[in-house]
Amino acid sequence: MNAVVPRLRQLSLLRLLLSAALLAGGCATHVEVNGSFPEPLSQRLPVTALVVFDEAFRSHRFENADDGREVSVAVGQTQVDLFTAVLNGMFEHVTFADTLPDSAEVDLMIMPVVDEVQISMPYQTKLKVYEVWVRYNLRVFEGSGEPLADWIMSAYGKTPTRFLKSSGDALNQAALVAMRDAGAHFIIGFSRVPEIRFWLDGRATVAAGLPEMEP
Amino acid sequence: MTQGLLARFPRSFMLCTISFLLGTMGAGCTTTTVDEYREDSKRLDLKNGEAIVVLGRRHAAQYETEPDFIECIGDKIGSAARVDVVAEPEFMDATYPWFEPRTAPLGLKRMGKMLREPMIAERIRGRHIRYMIWVDGSTETTDREGSVSCAIGPGGGGCFGFATWEKEAVYEAVIWDLSTLLEQGRVKVKAKGSSYMVAVGLPVPIIAQVQGQACEGIGNQLGTFFAG
Repeated sequence: MNAVVPRLRQLSLLRLLLSAALLAGGCATHVEVNGSFPEPLSQRLPVTALVVFDEAFRSHRFENADDGREVSVAVGQTQVDLFTAVLNGMFEHVTFADTLPDSAEVDLMIMPVVDEVQISMPYQTKLKVYEVWVRYNLRVFEGSGEPLADWIMSAYGKTPTRFLKSSGDALNQAALVAMRDAGAHFIIGFSRVPEIRFWLDGRATVAAGLPEMEP
Repeated sequence: MTQGLLARFPRSFMLCTISFLLGTMGAGCTTTTVDEYREDSKRLDLKNGEAIVVLGRRHAAQYETEPDFIECIGDKIGSAARVDVVAEPEFMDATYPWFEPRTAPLGLKRMGKMLREPMIAERIRGRHIRYMIWVDGSTETTDREGSVSCAIGPGGGGCFGFATWEKEAVYEAVIWDLSTLLEQGRVKVKAKGSSYMVAVGLPVPIIAQVQGQACEGIGNQLGTFFAG
């Protein structure tokens, strides 16, 4: 009998600790965004490109601890996967690097940089959706290292709340939608950026053996 | 006699409660209204091997047409009209990036323009897609009353209270014929239902299947466009 009482006390303490751990864990959301992207349906441009994913881009993580609720979303690897799929589908030949060289034997050097990530949860907005915004700064250089274009592109993704679905799953889904949105806008918008349009027109003119037009 | 009544009371009360719960968990708590508009009273032409695709609109800021609702409608149409329905994720992956929430065509004019792009047209025709159905709407909680409190401690846990909430599902589906680039019809569904949660120790939810009823209503009605 004497041996049973301490054992019961131990069990009670264990339950208490377990409850406390569950409650503490319930206030934190950590998401390693994970997913795959389809091969885009687009015409490949006759361009060779070097794509630079630096360390900050590869390991980008959004962290926030407002209202005592800790949220962290790691988008680094997923955005590398996205831009790899998208750029391989857009250009005839693509190579990758970790740092931006002074110059390279390619037509273009492209370096995406994460400018800002924002997320919003249903408890903040009172809407039944999880939302993710990513703002990219896209830097494009000629092979000689000369800057060609530099623009801001924003991406947005949201996913509805689900009964008994964790906020981690919902945020992962919203981040994937945002990544797909980024890819879609990059593919559709790339040749509409005025400097890129002008550069592509110039190349087409040279390829056709026609005199280059004045800007 | 009195003893007999008392002995019978708990069993009859339990049976009554179970019947009430089962009855309420059915369709009793949901009302569904379906409206439709057809361009033509004839059945929509669908040749052998041709398919349809059901897609959700996701460009609105405050809500999102739920992917599982779109899947449910596709299943309903497929079984009601016995037609091939291309799954939404499969279609969106095959045509990426042209049917994403912010790049999808909102009208037939732009859809026609997209179909003049050979690579997009080829991808859609390659899957024999004749009709595209766009569904826009969501299921929202419109009213909520009461509360259920739960507690957990070293000795165990439990819940106590009563809560009720009302949900409303409003969706509209538009059918586009990709071969003629004409709108062939619209179906609108509105479903409303109340759910309850009674908790004395264990919580007992009595859930109104509002979204399920909306799917049933809109899916079966869309099926009649193809099945005649």
